Amino acid sequence: MTATVTAAAPIRRGETLRATALGVAAGIAGGLVFGAAMASFGALPTVASIVRADSPAVGFAVHMVIAAVIGAGFGLLIAHQRAQASETLFWGLIYGGFWWFLGPQTLLPLLLGEPVTWDLPSAQALLPSLIGHLFYGATTAMVFIAFHRDAGETQLPGLATAACGVVAGVTVAALLYLVLDVMANAPLGWIFVEGTLAGLGYPLLFAARREGAGPALIRGTAYGFLWWIVAGLTLPPLLRGDALDWSQEAAVTAVDRLPAYLLLGAGVALVFTGLSGLGRWLFVDDVRMLRVESPGARGLRATGYGALAGLAGGVVFTLVMVLVEALPAVAGLVGAQAPTTGLLVHLTIAQIIGVSYAVLFRRRSFDLTSGIGWGVSYGFVWWVLGNLTLLPILTGGPLQWDAAGVAAGFPSLVGHLAYGAALGVVYYRLEARTNPWWITRNQAEAQRVAARRDQTLGSAPALWGLTVLIALTIPLLISG
Amino acid sequence: MASHNELGSQRRQPRRFRPSELAGWGATTGLVTALPVAALMGYQGMLDDRSLGVVPQWGVFIGYATAVGVAIGLGVAYRPRGLAVAASGGVLISLLGWLVFSLTLDPVLHGQTPTWSAPAAAAAYGVLVADVLHGALTGAAVHGLLALHARRPGSKGPRSASAPAEAEPPTRVLIVGGGFAGLSAARRFERLALSGAPIDVTLIGDSNFLLFTPMLAEVASSALEPAHISAPIRAAVPHTRFLYGAVADIDTDDRTVRLSTGTAATSEVERIGYDHLVLAVGSVPHFLDLPGVAEHALTLKDLDDATLLRNHVIGLLEQADHTETDPEQRGNLLTFVVAGGGFAGAETIAELFDLVHRVLHYFPGIAPDEPRFVLVHSRDRILPELSAELGAYALDRLRSRGIEFRLDVRVAEATATDVLLTDGDRVPTRTFVWTAGNRPSALVAKLGGEHARNGAPITDPTLRVTGLDRVWAVGDCAQIPDLARDGAPFPPTAQHALRQGTVVAENIAAVIAGRPPAEFRFRTIGLLVALGHRTAAAEIRGRRFSGVAAWLLWRGIYLAKLPGVEKRLRVLLDWVLDLAFPRDIVVTTRQQPTESTLSVLTTPVSTTRARQTRAEQTRDGQPR
Repeated sequence: MTATVTAAAPIRRGETLRATALGVAAGIAGGLVFGAAMASFGALPTVASIVRADSPAVGFAVHMVIAAVIGAGFGLLIAHQRAQASETLFWGLIYGGFWWFLGPQTLLPLLLGEPVTWDLPSAQALLPSLIGHLFYGATTAMVFIAFHRDAGETQLPGLATAACGVVAGVTVAALLYLVLDVMANAPLGWIFVEGTLAGLGYPLLFAARREGAGPALIRGTAYGFLWWIVAGLTLPPLLRGDALDWSQEAAVTAVDRLPAYLLLGAGVALVFTGLSGLGRWLFVDDVRMLRVESPGARGLRATGYGALAGLAGGVVFTLVMVLVEALPAVAGLVGAQAPTTGLLVHLTIAQIIGVSYAVLFRRRSFDLTSGIGWGVSYGFVWWVLGNLTLLPILTGGPLQWDAAGVAAGFPSLVGHLAYGAALGVVYYRLEARTNPWWITRNQAEAQRVAARRDQTLGSAPALWGLTVLIALTIPLLISG
Repeated sequence: MASHNELGSQRRQPRRFRPSELAGWGATTGLVTALPVAALMGYQGMLDDRSLGVVPQWGVFIGYATAVGVAIGLGVAYRPRGLAVAASGGVLISLLGWLVFSLTLDPVLHGQTPTWSAPAAAAAYGVLVADVLHGALTGAAVHGLLALHARRPGSKGPRSASAPAEAEPPTRVLIVGGGFAGLSAARRFERLALSGAPIDVTLIGDSNFLLFTPMLAEVASSALEPAHISAPIRAAVPHTRFLYGAVADIDTDDRTVRLSTGTAATSEVERIGYDHLVLAVGSVPHFLDLPGVAEHALTLKDLDDATLLRNHVIGLLEQADHTETDPEQRGNLLTFVVAGGGFAGAETIAELFDLVHRVLHYFPGIAPDEPRFVLVHSRDRILPELSAELGAYALDRLRSRGIEFRLDVRVAEATATDVLLTDGDRVPTRTFVWTAGNRPSALVAKLGGEHARNGAPITDPTLRVTGLDRVWAVGDCAQIPDLARDGAPFPPTAQHALRQGTVVAENIAAVIAGRPPAEFRFRTIGLLVALGHRTAAAEIRGRRFSGVAAWLLWRGIYLAKLPGVEKRLRVLLDWVLDLAFPRDIVVTTRQQPTESTLSVLTTPVSTTRARQTRAEQTRDGQPR
C-alpha cells in the first residue's frame, strides 16, 4: 500500500565534491524558475546593477551565477543531512527563505552601496522576491534529490495510497466548504478539484514516510502553505491569462484563503495518516508492520503529562491574554464575559490541547530544541485553527481571514507560539524524566532510536524553522 | 548471549559536552557573530534610538545576542552531520528570542506595556532580520567549533555511536533481585543515569516480573487474576538491562556473580562482573526444621503458591462434595489450617474463608457449617505489628465468622493428613499453610561479612554490607539498623524496601562521584491488613482505622501503589466483577485421578512439597 523511499546513506569521502556539483546544477534549475519569474516582474535589471549594468540579459546571467553558487551551498548543506527525498523539499524552502533575508534585504543593497532594507515597507515591496526565493529553494531541492544517488529510490504511491490521499483531500475540502463556508463564491466543483489535487499531492510527496500524526500535522500545515503559494497566489492570475503577480497587493487579496489552505494541508495530512493507519490495521497481514506498543500501555501517563504541560503553556499564554485584555472574548465561548471565567475556559482549553499534543507528539522529542520545535509549530496550528477559525465561529462572529483580521490576531499568535514553546519544553522534560526513550539497552535498540532520531532530524528542523518563519513574517508582510 | 562487557560497550552513549561547555561555546559564538550584525545595524543607523539607560542599544543587542548564543549552544548542542540542523535550530531559537526580547522585554525595560501587536512587530522588523541572520550564523558556527573541538587530539568532546569512545567505561552496577527493593533501585538508577551519572546498570531476576505481594492472598482466594498483580520488569524499568536467570554464587573477591540462565535443558552459566553489587534477593519461607512441615506445608510467597493453594482448596471441595461420606474424612478435607498470626497469616485465613464460602453454593454436598478454619499462633494475640486494640479487633471479627484461633501454641509437626500442635492437640487437615517464618535467601547466607542470626547480611546505616567491599543489601534479605530505634533492624515491609532501593542507588552514585553515602532513615508510614469481606485494620501515622473505612483505605492505597496504570485498571475491574459475579472455581492444573479419588486428595501436600523442595533447591541460589 505504501511506497518506499530509502533513507539517504551517510556521506562518504569524495561525495562532497559531487554534492557540490549537483547543487550547482540544481541551483541552476531553481534559478531558471526564479529567473523566469523575475523576468516577468521586470526585476532582472536590478540584479544587473550588481555589475553596474542594466540589461535584463546581464541581470539574468548574474542571477544564474548567483543561483548556481547558492545551489552549491545547498548541495554541501543537504549532503550532510539524512533527509529523505521528499523531505528535502522543506530544507529547500527554508534555505530559500533564509536567502531572502540575506540576499535582497542585506547583501544586494550592500553590493549596490545602499543601506540594507531591514524595514517592513521594503520587505513588503520584496514580497515577490520572497515567493521567488521559495520557488527557487523548492525547485533546487527537488532537482537535487532527483539526481542525488544516495537519496534513495522514490516510487510512485500505489493506487490504494493515492486513493487514501484523494479521499482525505476531498473530505477536508468538503468540510471546509460546508462547515466554514470557505470559497463559498467559487464553483463547488472547483473545491473538489483542489481537494483532489491536494490530496493526491500529499502521498506523492510524503507517502513513503510512515510516522506519527503529530509530525504529519506540522508537515501538512507547511504543505498547505505551499499550496497557498501555488494555487492561491500563483495560478489564479495565470489561469485568467494575466501576468504573474506576487506583489503585496496580490498577497493581501489572497490572504483570506491562506488559513483555508493551511487547514486543508493539515487536515489532508491528518486524515491521510489516519486512513493509512486504518488500512494497515484492517488489511496488512504482517503484524511486524503494525505498532508494537498498544496506546494504553503508556498513553495514559502521557495524557496526564500533556494536561500538565498544557497548563504550564496556558499560564505563559495568560500573560499575553491579560495584557491585551483578551480574556472576555474567551469567556464568550461559554456565553460569559467575566475575565475570571475567560481564564478558567482558557486554562481548560490549554490542558485539552496539551493532551492532544501528548497524543500526537509522544516520543517525538529527544532534546530541548525538538521539544520547542514541535511545540511552537503546534502552537501555530492552533492559532490558525483556534484563534482565526474556531473562536469566531463558537462566539457567533464572522470569520476574519482577511489581512486586517490576520494582523489583528498577531498578539494571539505570539501567545500561541509562547504557549507551544512552554508546552513542548515541559512535556519534553516530563517525558525525559520518566521515560527517556532515547536511552537504550543494547545495540539493536540503539540503532532503532538512531534511525528515529535521523528520521526526525531529516526534515523536522526545517519544518520548525519554516513554520515559525511563516508564522512571523507572513502576517507582517500582508499587514498595513 | 552477549557477555556483560559486550553489552556494556554497546550501551555506552556518545559522550556529550557539558552544559557549561556548550553555554560557553554558545556565548562566545553568539558574541562573535553578533559583532558584524551589530556593526551593520550601527552603520545603517539602526542602533541609535533605543538605548537602555547608560547602555547604548548596540550594547543591549550584543548582550542579548550573547544570551541567544548561550541558548543556541545549549539547544542545538552538537551532532555529527548536524550543520543544517544547527543552523535552522539557531534560526528557530533566535526567532523565539525576538518574541521574548524585542516584543516583550524591550518595551518593559523602556517602561511600556508590551502589546505584541502587528504595528509593534513591524517596528521591530529590522531586529527580526538581524536575529534570523544572527541565529543561522551562530547555529552554524557553534556546530563548526564544536566539531573542530571534538576532533582535536586529546579532546574530551563528543563522540558519535560510530566513533568508539575512549573515555572511562561507566561503573557497572549489578542488582540481584527484581522485588520492590531491586526495582526501586533500578528506577532510581535510570533517573541518575539521565542526570549524567556514569553508571551501567544490570538487573538480574529469577522471575521477569515484580510481584505485588500485598494482593497475593486475593489471588489465592480467586478474587484477582494472577497476572494482574504482577508487572513485567522490562516495562517497569525500560532502560535497564535485564537478565532473566538465577544467581548461583557470588565471588566478592573477584567481583563477579555466576548466573544460570535458560531452562534445565538449555541451561547456560556465565560470570557477570560488577563494580558495585546490590543484593535485593528477598526472603524464603523458614520452616524452623519442624518435622514434616517443609514436606507438607503450603506457602504463600509467589504466584505459583497462590495458584496452587487456590486449586488445592477447590479440588478438596470437589472431592468433599461427591465422594466422601465418612464424617471424619470430610472433616479432614474441609479443615484449613494456617500457621502464623502475622499479616500474611491473618490475610490468608480470612481470604480462604471468603473463597470457600463464596463458592460453596456450587457444592451442594457440603453444608455451610462443615468447613473449619484454624489459625495457629505462638503468641497471645494476633497481628503483633499493630496495636493491641487493632489486634483484638481483628481477632474478634475473624472469630465472629467462625474462624478458630489457637493462641499461645505452636505447630510441632505436620503430616499429610494432620497438624500436631505443641499442646498435644492434633488437627486433621489436608490444607496446612505456613506463614510463621521467613529467612533470607541462602544466596546471601553464604556470603562473607557479618550476618544476623537468621543469616541476613548486616549492613551499616548507609546500606553497605559490613565487612564486604562494594556490596550493598536492601529489602527483606538484609538486616539494616534503624538509628532512630537504637539500631534495631527495620521491619521487612514493602514500604521500607522501596525507600531502601532509592537510597542505595543514590548512595552508590554518591560513592562513584566521591561523595559520602547517606544514612537510611525512614519512619513507617502505616500498616494495613485486609481481613476479608470488606473488613480491614489499619494504623497510619498513629491513627487507627478499622472496618469498612480501613478496607476502603487498604484497597485505595494498594491500588494506587500497584505498578502501572494498566495493572491498576485490571485489578479494579477484577474487584468490580467480584461484586457482581461468583468467584471462579476452575481448577487450572491437571489433576491425575488415582484409584478412586483425585491425587489432590491422596497426596495434596506431598505434591506441593515436591514443588516446594524444587523451589527450595533453586532458591538456594536464586534471588526473589
